[in-house]
Amino acid sequence: MAVIGKTSLKGIASGRSPAWMAGLVALVSLLVLPWGRTDRSLLEFDSKLLVLNQAPWLGGVLLAVVAVLTLSSLLHLPLVQRGYALVGLGGAGFLVGVGWLVSTSVPFGVGALLVLTALLVMVGIGLSESGIIQNDPFVTSSILVCSLFVLLFIAYPLFTVLRESVLVKGVFTLNKIQSVLTSPLFISIENPYTDHSEQLLVNLTTLGLGLLGAGLAARGGLRGPRVLTGLGVGLVLGWIIGAGIFGGGAFPTSLYLALIVAPITTALGLVFALLEQRSRAVWVRRSLGVVSLLPLITPPFVFAFALIYWLGRSGIITSDLLGLKTSFLFGINGVAIAQVFAFTPVAFLILRGSVQGLNPALEEASTTLRAHPWQTFRDITWPLLRPGLAAAFLLTIIESLADFGNPMLLGGDRNFLSTEVFLALTGRYDPNEAAVYGAVLLCLVLVIFGLQRLWLGNTSFVTVTGKPGAGNFSPLPVWLERTLQTILALWGLAVVLLYFSIFFGSFVQIWGINNSFTFKHYVDLTNLGLPVLLKTAQLAFISAIIATLVGFLIAYLVSRQQFWGRGLLEVGSMLSFATPGTVMGVAYILAFNTGPWLLTGTGIIIVLALVFRNMPAAVRGVISGLSQIDKSLEEASTLLRAPSSTTLRRVLIPLLIPQLLAGLVFAFVRGMTAISQIIFLISPGNALATVLMLRWIEQGDLGRGAAMATVMILGLLTVILILFAVSRRLGRGTSLEAAV
Amino acid sequence: MQQTVSATHTGKQQAVSVKLEGIVKKFGKVTAVEKVDLELPAGKLITLLGPSGCGKTTILRMVAGLERPTEGRILFGGEDVTRLPAYLRDITMMFQSYALFPHMNVYQNIAYGLEVTRRPKQEIRERVAEVVQQVGLTGLEERPVAALSGGQQQRVALARSLVMQPRVLLFDEPLSNLDAKLRKRVREEIRDLQQELGITSLYVTHDQEEAMAISDLVVLMNKGVIEQQGDPRTLYTRPVSRFAADFIGRANFFEGHYSAGHIQVAGYQQPYQQEGISGKVTVMVRPEALKVHLSGDGLDGTIHHVSFLGSSTEFSVDTPVGRLEGVVAGDAPELPGRGERVKVQFAPQGTFLLPA
Repeated sequence: MAVIGKTSLKGIASGRSPAWMAGLVALVSLLVLPWGRTDRSLLEFDSKLLVLNQAPWLGGVLLAVVAVLTLSSLLHLPLVQRGYALVGLGGAGFLVGVGWLVSTSVPFGVGALLVLTALLVMVGIGLSESGIIQNDPFVTSSILVCSLFVLLFIAYPLFTVLRESVLVKGVFTLNKIQSVLTSPLFISIENPYTDHSEQLLVNLTTLGLGLLGAGLAARGGLRGPRVLTGLGVGLVLGWIIGAGIFGGGAFPTSLYLALIVAPITTALGLVFALLEQRSRAVWVRRSLGVVSLLPLITPPFVFAFALIYWLGRSGIITSDLLGLKTSFLFGINGVAIAQVFAFTPVAFLILRGSVQGLNPALEEASTTLRAHPWQTFRDITWPLLRPGLAAAFLLTIIESLADFGNPMLLGGDRNFLSTEVFLALTGRYDPNEAAVYGAVLLCLVLVIFGLQRLWLGNTSFVTVTGKPGAGNFSPLPVWLERTLQTILALWGLAVVLLYFSIFFGSFVQIWGINNSFTFKHYVDLTNLGLPVLLKTAQLAFISAIIATLVGFLIAYLVSRQQFWGRGLLEVGSMLSFATPGTVMGVAYILAFNTGPWLLTGTGIIIVLALVFRNMPAAVRGVISGLSQIDKSLEEASTLLRAPSSTTLRRVLIPLLIPQLLAGLVFAFVRGMTAISQIIFLISPGNALATVLMLRWIEQGDLGRGAAMATVMILGLLTVILILFAVSRRLGRGTSLEAAV
Repeated sequence: MQQTVSATHTGKQQAVSVKLEGIVKKFGKVTAVEKVDLELPAGKLITLLGPSGCGKTTILRMVAGLERPTEGRILFGGEDVTRLPAYLRDITMMFQSYALFPHMNVYQNIAYGLEVTRRPKQEIRERVAEVVQQVGLTGLEERPVAALSGGQQQRVALARSLVMQPRVLLFDEPLSNLDAKLRKRVREEIRDLQQELGITSLYVTHDQEEAMAISDLVVLMNKGVIEQQGDPRTLYTRPVSRFAADFIGRANFFEGHYSAGHIQVAGYQQPYQQEGISGKVTVMVRPEALKVHLSGDGLDGTIHHVSFLGSSTEFSVDTPVGRLEGVVAGDAPELPGRGERVKVQFAPQGTFLLPA
């Protein structure tokens, strides 16, 4: 805590500053830790790397600045004047340090990292103590450090993707974009080896759907803008469908895939949400809780992998039952099926909120006005669900576009945007091409996010706010419930079979060919996979801790503090949520491969990639937790002389422990199952379980892959169940709310 | 008891005066407080009274340091604290929601501020014990705060504030969550403790009765400016404006004329003395100053209704200047009944003239 002089009658204008702690860290780092690096390892140590040896004048300047500031922080000096000094000198030192790194392109060392962070903290303390900013020292420093993090690890990499797509070997050019966008890999309509014209077919579909759209829009009356919108939407959809079916290339294929997957998953999600809230049968309501867990504990391409067992060239259904030698699974069909299984729980989670948010009183009102249950559903329930449906629809489009594992495994000869990003970089060694693909994918996703915000606003998930009124939901019409239950049962059966195949496959020699029992795969896994699994768990755990802490801090800052740029910090921290994993991965490769921010080849970059991937979830979790805590609790703590760091530690964190624990566990679990953003970033010492699993499956070592998947699924399930048990034990949620 | 303990622990804070100089607070384009100058004498209890949105809570929060004024200075006994962060101001506050920490018990809540400021364990125990006794919470120290009644939670909040021996104690509508009877009792307790301890206190409320009952000085605010300040009696008997008269108590207003020591209202003339006003005026008459008689001199009127409320009887009377409301203490069988023609007079101590 700040050792600030006791307020005297003359005023508190003087005292010590907590900046001395940061100053001391900086001082020690300057003297004994390496400023720069010569290779990738951050742990490298050599006296030549000390700042005084590496750049004597820089070292001298920084040492002087830090020494002066540290000393003055320890003395009882006027707060305001010293505040200005901290801001001025500290800021200058920070800029000089960064400037040196950027201009010399020497990779930063541990020392530089600590010194620069410490200087930033001192600037923050100075801003606060001088009264320039009306937040306390801890908050101001946190704002600066969090902003730097977001800037360096989210904004800068994304900017790099855009830059690399127009900057080839240091020269600005649009040629790369042009050549990629016109290449057959990106888009191709005409196939010269067929005797009909694909272009014509695509044009016909486009025109047909365009007219259909205009016609549908005109049904409700001939109004110009409406009809034009209908025409536009129809044309776009028509082109996507036409080009997706008859043409090829990553762009139409990805969009077409998303257009198939999104409606199906949204519909299934709605079915499950309705059943969970309205079903008469208890077992139905209960079992759906499990559905929401599935995507958490399953690595993203496990369904694709299991589908190969069932529907592949020698799959049980396709080959053994039907006697087909078909490869229909490999292409859009297979990817679509796998994605439906993977993303339905996501749509379910969103729609569950919408269905819960419905006010039963509205339906009761409708019933008392003598509406038939079906009329009530059509006229009341359905319109209220529409925003949630739109949200689920758009989100599954984004998920589908961003998905990497399924297209990688099942894509066959089709190209997808997210895999092209990867293949351009690792297969064709063309970072600029990868950047162009990344930029296209990023723009698509941001446009869809923009549409979602535009149409639905922030509160789209809950259609009716306020306390749910008393009253019970009218149960679903019987025939509807039967139908929905059947769908659920089929889906459940398929999922069980898929999981079972993974489990079974891990215990037999070669499933379908030699079904004799064996532990061979687990022996292999112990030898080859165990170290990787442990390493993955280690990296995921570190990243989960950082993500939760930084996420908590950012959530606290944006929801509880007023400062300039608050909106930017929030948007910045959420940007990584919107960014497809492959784009983030290629962004990290491009941004941190050389120069002062060299990080590739280390475990740190994997940790960072995971941190900024999983942080938005932590941020949102904490924000929603904070919204339940009366702000006057913090004000009371402040007025009882607690600086905000103490308020955080003694009031907010204890009250938010359930949210933080959940955030930590989910970040860990997602870190374990991540693939798209880290497949670029692995290095010999830092292999990851999902990547290894993907490689095994691609090589045909299905049994070994299955063993790995089984271990991961069971392990993660255990972790989640422990979390649930602990949260239940804590069980403070309700009593806390009652007291606030 | 209290004196001895205080003497052993660094002594009580000297009561300080609080001074606001030219305070302006803007939220974006909205001006919440406009050029407020205000002085709170040391050791007194001052109430900021006004309708919601008048800026009273904003002023309180600026004194606390939870908001920073857009312009102007805040001084505690001569020391400029405008830029001093809230946690260094030596102020405590009673919140409308009590703001008790739900994960701590009564003792932990009260001791929180002392622990945060690293007081010795022994001192914390003694000071908490003392204040627990003062507010009458003895025996409840280990209870979780959620298990307390509203009134008890209120006391914990008070104890938590008092134990810090603040230079200034702030109250943000602390009684609005209590029921009417409890509210009256707690406000008397607060007043007693405040006078006993002599802490400069700033109290925000929109309840004029509460303000009158508890304050040394009432500051009436309207639309971000101070309408009037003074002791409760002055505010009631000599309001500066129609708003002030209307907000503090009930009042009848009507047109009149004042000259040569007489009020003239619709042909009726009554002697009345008030300095510094003449010509066309707005006459304010408190309900209890409205006197009706069946005969004699007075403004012509007809009784409109009479309702017996137990401790008082309310009536209204239609006159040439409109319907006027009156009240008399207790049951009033002598009061004329509905429809009876009466003469209305205005008792001087409940009558005041405002510029027209």
